[in-house]
Amino acid sequence: MSSRLVTVVLLVGLSYNLLAVAPRIANWRLPGDHTDYEPAQPVAFSHRVHAGELQVACLYCHFGAERSRHAGIPPLNVCMNCHRFVTAPIGAVRAEDVLAVKENRRPLRIVSPEIAKIYRALGLGDNLAPDPARTPEPVAWITVHNLPDFVYFDHRPHVAAAVTCQTCHGPVETMERVRQVQALTMGWCVNCHRDATRRGVADRSANASIDCVSCHF
Amino acid sequence: MSRRYWKSIEERDGGEDWLPADRDEFPEPLAVLPDAPGTLGRRGFLKAAGFGLAGTLAAGCQRGPVSKAIPFLNQPEEVMPGRATWYATTCGACSAACGLLVKNRDGRPIKLEGNPQHPLSRGGLCAVGQASLLGLYDRWRHRGPLKRGQPASWADVDADIVSALAAIRHRGGALRLLTGTIVSPTLSATIGRFMATFPNARHVVYDAISSSAILDAHERTHGRRALPRYHFGQAAVIAGVDADFLGTWISPVEFTRGYRDGRSLEGNPPRCSYHAQFESGLTITGTKADWRTRIAPGEEGPVLTQLAARVARRAGLAWPAGDVGMPPVPGAPLDDLAGRLWAARGASLVVSGCQDVAVQVICNFVNHLLGNYGRTIDINRPSYQRGGCDAALGELAAELAAGAVDGLLVAAANPAYDLPADLDFATLARRVDLLVSFAGSPDETAALAGYVCPDHHYLEAWSDAEPAAGCASITQPVLAPIGGTRAIVESLARWMDDARPAYELVRAHWESALFPRRIPVEPFETFWDTAVHDGAVELQVAPRESAASGTSAPLPDPVAAGAAPPEGALSLVLYPSVGQLDGRHAHNPWLQELPDPITKVTWDNCASLSPDAAASLGVREGDVVRIETGGPSPAAAALELPVYIQPGQHDRAVAIPLGYGRASTERFTRAGPHWLESQPGVGPNGLVGINAAPLIVFEGGTLRYGGRAVRIAPTGRRIELATTQRHHSIIEPRQVSSAGSRPIVREMPVSALSAQQPPPGATREGRGLWPDDHPYSGRRWGLIIDLNACTGCSACVVACQVENNIPVVGRDEVRRQREMHWLRIDRYFTDADESVDVVHQPMLCQHCANAPCETVCPVLATVHSADGLNQQVYNRCVGTRYCANNCPYKVRRFNWFTYARADAVENLVLNPDVTVRTRGVMEKCSLCAQRLLEARISARARGEPARDTDVRTACEQSCPAGAIVLGDLNDPASRVAALAKDPRYFQVLEDLNVRPGVGYLAVVRNRDADPGKAGHV
Repeated sequence: MSSRLVTVVLLVGLSYNLLAVAPRIANWRLPGDHTDYEPAQPVAFSHRVHAGELQVACLYCHFGAERSRHAGIPPLNVCMNCHRFVTAPIGAVRAEDVLAVKENRRPLRIVSPEIAKIYRALGLGDNLAPDPARTPEPVAWITVHNLPDFVYFDHRPHVAAAVTCQTCHGPVETMERVRQVQALTMGWCVNCHRDATRRGVADRSANASIDCVSCHF
Repeated sequence: MSRRYWKSIEERDGGEDWLPADRDEFPEPLAVLPDAPGTLGRRGFLKAAGFGLAGTLAAGCQRGPVSKAIPFLNQPEEVMPGRATWYATTCGACSAACGLLVKNRDGRPIKLEGNPQHPLSRGGLCAVGQASLLGLYDRWRHRGPLKRGQPASWADVDADIVSALAAIRHRGGALRLLTGTIVSPTLSATIGRFMATFPNARHVVYDAISSSAILDAHERTHGRRALPRYHFGQAAVIAGVDADFLGTWISPVEFTRGYRDGRSLEGNPPRCSYHAQFESGLTITGTKADWRTRIAPGEEGPVLTQLAARVARRAGLAWPAGDVGMPPVPGAPLDDLAGRLWAARGASLVVSGCQDVAVQVICNFVNHLLGNYGRTIDINRPSYQRGGCDAALGELAAELAAGAVDGLLVAAANPAYDLPADLDFATLARRVDLLVSFAGSPDETAALAGYVCPDHHYLEAWSDAEPAAGCASITQPVLAPIGGTRAIVESLARWMDDARPAYELVRAHWESALFPRRIPVEPFETFWDTAVHDGAVELQVAPRESAASGTSAPLPDPVAAGAAPPEGALSLVLYPSVGQLDGRHAHNPWLQELPDPITKVTWDNCASLSPDAAASLGVREGDVVRIETGGPSPAAAALELPVYIQPGQHDRAVAIPLGYGRASTERFTRAGPHWLESQPGVGPNGLVGINAAPLIVFEGGTLRYGGRAVRIAPTGRRIELATTQRHHSIIEPRQVSSAGSRPIVREMPVSALSAQQPPPGATREGRGLWPDDHPYSGRRWGLIIDLNACTGCSACVVACQVENNIPVVGRDEVRRQREMHWLRIDRYFTDADESVDVVHQPMLCQHCANAPCETVCPVLATVHSADGLNQQVYNRCVGTRYCANNCPYKVRRFNWFTYARADAVENLVLNPDVTVRTRGVMEKCSLCAQRLLEARISARARGEPARDTDVRTACEQSCPAGAIVLGDLNDPASRVAALAKDPRYFQVLEDLNVRPGVGYLAVVRNRDADPGKAGHV
């Protein structure tokens, strides 16, 4: 088999491949760049409602960001701090109240289907008492911002340096479903670190390391 | 004249031009096959693969992988994902019971560290203790009770045992409990309660590595059968006779720390104890001695007698009455030693590991003459770390032989494995109707037992320890039991109808028995919380009238040298190796792969012979020899082991490590990567090494490990030992360097230190062609290793392995020079008067400023950080291995395989803060970058400036001698900056001008200055 023939065959194969992906070329990204990743989550939790409308602080739920490398997905007992009492969106509760007055009866307890998933996961019945028929089972969220295993990102120094959450995670408070906004590639990280050292963060000087061991060890 | 250092016999005997046979970093050439005509060929294949990969990438780069994040339902208050929690507990890896701090991540322990608040171990932890963590995740542990070898339920087993015990109790039958030393007061008390319910019950304690003779001797001389506590730190003159107190003897971590304190070299004149060691084999204690003398096995008695006679003469005592003949060692230095001991009365120490009670009585006599009792030896606050009574063991064997035992319970011991063939426990035990073993993992004794009631791993259990009188510590569980095991103390209580869990038993015992001994009066709750939090508490020791402290005791009988043995006669020295001890951790691959500090052999035991003895027998390293003993028991008469040639050993000694040939090592047959040329990881017997315990002699009421006469005959077979002795040698080509210009190790006598001579080559900076492009304007991390403190105990090697997820490669790969340890301990020999001097040198990445590895990496996978670290970036590395070839220190390790990590349970031990490397990636010491970063981040989060005292590397933390110091070289107030100005400070291969960040402090020998003997090399 002559070497030239091999090369021709391979070039034809490659061209076919490129043709096949041509329609999706608009979505094409470098490996490791998952910008705009927006998976459906097991519970349709809305950051727009909680962080945007209700102004719940990011660190209320993601309390790990100050104390641990991981910001953490809040455990369900944090959800229950409010949702022990808030069982449905306020609009649905008010509508039921109006209806009850009109029908001259006590308002029914409204549990929204998404919040009911929390109760089910905790093994609670509709009256929020433990239901032996239900086994508690944690919610398996889908990771949106996912770094490779050889990267050791730590939230703590970023929070301590007053880098806002939105710098990396985008305007989460406007998102119904969380979407990855930034590329989170190494070049993106390093550029920000360089800028931070040059210009400071939040009007304070910063010393953002660009040593490899800051993230890779 | 300079001393010449060598790592192996070949190097010593090689000429000026000698280079190691495996001088190449990668000794095996890569096989490149020529392309056969008419085939696709290698290049064609690569092209096809490349295009295929490009096509796949082009088509595939769109979606992120789906990974799940599953939070707690209810997060416990003290648990935070990504953060470690620490618990104080007590090490259960041996009976020394050192203090531990356990690092827990996400509910599982991942690292053990020494507890600095523990009064005995004071922050150190040995290699075995470090490695015992892996035992927790051992898949082969018993998962639950066994009944005649089959899994059974606890209820079933309990019912059977309770009825069998009731029958024994009813008819007054003999019940015996055979255990190793029990340091737990609660367990001792529970055993006492349990035994008291039987009319004829006895608790027999023995140690596989016995110190019974010391206890017996103190019973004779002091009227109290106790093991005294030795304070090496207060001794100015130490004489050791066959006692490896820095390696394996009784409590090596505690003794190492004390020994180091006595040789801290502080002040002027520098504080440096004088240490004389008499031994047959070479031990790490012998390597540290200022004067080491080889004695033949069995000469401990005559040597101590001669020493005692010389001390007695100075004390004005005519002892011994008769003539004791000529000393087996040169008389003049012995006189000198006796003079030093006498001059340091009350601050000297004579210890012996000899198992002859008469010899130990003489040892006590010397110490009494020197006034050491009450000062360096404390018999009123004794140690409980060895409690075995070999005489009772002999009685038990006699009872078993007579069939007089109805029930035998075995706990924390493996008598079917570690007892001599004379006692033949395995046969005798079969005669017992009820044999119960409490072994947590399958062992030789449990295999015989009708019932196995497996104990927890010590990290799963509530327990306690009192290793020395007045020092009590708590063992608390750091995770729920992985299998269905049960603590011994619970099992015994359950059989007495006491269903309390171990926690309540321990707490109740502390409230009733230990709390009243606490002197600061406080509520019990406070006392208990303090104990659990700190790990250890100090208690009062009940005053007891110490019997005749030797003054009125009769003078001991001298032990005279026996008849001179025939020329060429050999005797046995059986010794516990630093990694294996008595074999209880044989299932632990970290310890199997740990190079022995002396022989550097891994994955095997061997018969060490001195170079002269080997030459006269005509054997080379690796030749399998047959070792035959005389004596009445032919069953144990022979053993076949490969030879290892050990400089510094006595010519009449055959030294064999114990603890090998455990049945549990079958599992290592396929340890290491599997590929075309891989060889099994075990020896021809299907096990790792061969059990030498049958050769122990039971004589005069004690287990004797040395002195048995043996004959040796070559078998003609050979085994290639997996020894790292010749691996990664730092090459010093003598043809290009004049003597003294390339220091690798340095020694100096203590007089030179007190003269404060400036070190040679004092100008360090500002030389060479390299531009000064690493200014280190902020911090520069440096590590300084005190070779004088380092004993070579190898705790750091295992600590590094645990911390940094370093894989185990298996015996076959070690033979191919592919071990992965980031930190190795080079040991260098030099010829001394009649023996050898040894220097241990921990060698790790030197974090050079002008790093030779960095300039040759084509992909910038190894580059410099602003604070002086030489960084290795795994995800960038493409595996050219140029860096390893260019490293003068030979500290880079290449992943030839993705090393087996298929065991999901064992993988729980991996440190989640460190990348697990895959095949084709270079790796090396990172100076525990994850710890440096963690310290910096947490200091910043606390709003404090980061101090270099906040962080310690894994090797530094573990070191029992405190030989390793990390710090900021740029901070003039730091410890490392001060040490870098020490006259002992030097850098390895300094003339290369690579400007290493790691420095060393020279070894100091307490000898007279002699320019011919002690200088810089």
